[in-house]
Amino acid sequence: MAAPSELFCWKSGLGLPSVNTDCLIVLVVQFESKHRHMLASLEHRSKFTRFRTPGEAPQKYNADYDLSAKEGADTLAFISLLEERLLPALIYALWIDPKNYVEVTRRWHGENMSFPFNFFLPGRMQNRQLERLRLIRGNDTLEAGEETEKELYHDALECLNLLSQRLGSNKFFFGDSPSSLDAYVFGHIAPLLKIRLPNCRLQQSLKNLDNLNTFCSNILNLYFPSESDEGSSHPVSGVQQSDDADNQPYKRRKQLLSVLVAVAAMLSYALLTGIVAIEHVHEEPVGRTSLRGSSHDEEEEV
Amino acid sequence: MSLAAEAFVSQIAAAEPWPENATLYQPLKEDQILLSDSASSLAVQTFLRMCGLPVEVSCRANAEYMSPSGKVPFIHVGNQVVSELGPIVQFTKAKGHALSDGLDDVQRAEMKAYMELVNNMLLTAELYIQWCDDSTSAEISRPRYSSPYSWPLNHVLAYQKQWEVRRKMNAIGWSGKSLEQVYEDVSQCCQALSQRLGTQPFFFNKQPTELDALVFGHLFTILTTQLTNDELAEKVKSYTNLLSFCHRIEQTYFKEPEREGQSSRHSKGALP
Repeated sequence: MAAPSELFCWKSGLGLPSVNTDCLIVLVVQFESKHRHMLASLEHRSKFTRFRTPGEAPQKYNADYDLSAKEGADTLAFISLLEERLLPALIYALWIDPKNYVEVTRRWHGENMSFPFNFFLPGRMQNRQLERLRLIRGNDTLEAGEETEKELYHDALECLNLLSQRLGSNKFFFGDSPSSLDAYVFGHIAPLLKIRLPNCRLQQSLKNLDNLNTFCSNILNLYFPSESDEGSSHPVSGVQQSDDADNQPYKRRKQLLSVLVAVAAMLSYALLTGIVAIEHVHEEPVGRTSLRGSSHDEEEEV
Repeated sequence: MSLAAEAFVSQIAAAEPWPENATLYQPLKEDQILLSDSASSLAVQTFLRMCGLPVEVSCRANAEYMSPSGKVPFIHVGNQVVSELGPIVQFTKAKGHALSDGLDDVQRAEMKAYMELVNNMLLTAELYIQWCDDSTSAEISRPRYSSPYSWPLNHVLAYQKQWEVRRKMNAIGWSGKSLEQVYEDVSQCCQALSQRLGTQPFFFNKQPTELDALVFGHLFTILTTQLTNDELAEKVKSYTNLLSFCHRIEQTYFKEPEREGQSSRHSKGALP
């Protein structure tokens, strides 16, 4: 009996079962694989969701037993296409574009990491992603900007169009049952479709490709029904409202805390420098106090 | 090339026909050129021959630095300079010569996907073997790459190039791979190509496309280049339809008795 193996994935968020592309791919392949393993327990840690599977670790192409040789070859080819054309645009949209990074990615990672990692880890991850993007594109001077964005999104849109043409009106890329290519495509497209990015023209273009949208929803419904329920309720409440509702308790708490801290700081400064002094008056029985008080006064006047 | 530059080049390209004095630049054939550059150069030469466009091959020690994108080969046509197969295909298309016009949308999608497969797996594997494998790097790549330069520039340039390539391998996740795994990847890629080719003469229909040129460029160079061991060539040789594909293209497009570009100290000259 093989020892139980564990799969560490980035946890769910932003409407997806996992916010990281590679984790999504592995999750879907795991579910598709013919020798399906029972997910015995699910633990949510600060950033990871841990899956425990009794039995062997899932093989890479477990889901592809039914494919013909040519379809296997096509799988490899399309995976290469995805990694060369679509992945750079995805990295840019999530990590390099300033507005998206600050409002979505960094916020989510900051909220889901424990202190003190949430201060510097997202920044470090961003630097690593920028370097990765520069090396993949072979351009050492790549920076966030209008021209880079146009170039990357142009390539990505071409890739998406090619995928859409290949998918046609089929349910999955190779007939009626899903394969590892479906997992790869899902892993790359789902973040673009589901994560609400404030500044992403690619997202709008992608929404026009109906068959890819349907494909993505199919897979979500098939393998991650709980996530798709959450995801479907969000659009109803509206983007701005839901964002505000999430942040409202945090916002109030932060405001209150900062006001308290400011008041405490001011008070302690005032006390220490003597602007405000607290006199301790000793309380004695009423009669004696008044006599003493008046005799004191008489003495002083004299 | 940026989008604006591409559009500009296409517009200018469309204005003039293909001149007689078009030149293709690559590193020195005898002493300097490496496996990956030789493969890319042969792919472009094959593509131009398939289109019936004349081009003269010129070898320069600083071809890499002359190229607008830093990659070889590049062609000098009229008053324009275009590098790498992808942009060159678009450039020739703007001039009215295209090989893949007869394909429908699905086939074009597959063609582009397979071209990316070759670039992603074969080219990366070639770069890995050349620069990340210590014995090949020390015995072949570094000496050849820096042969036109004198000391100490040759050491500086060779190590700089090696460092660059290793950084790239790191970024795409190949630095953790062993040589055996890389050979396995090459084998998988060849298997995919072999299955796609099947028993057809070319990858799509009966007409060659840029995919055929690219595959030929890489496979022929792998088969005819001497490395520290023959394992890479053996992986390719095990697929007989790919071998006969290479023979066929060589016979059809390179059938001069004095085959240019193929006989050098680095290459074995003829197909096995």
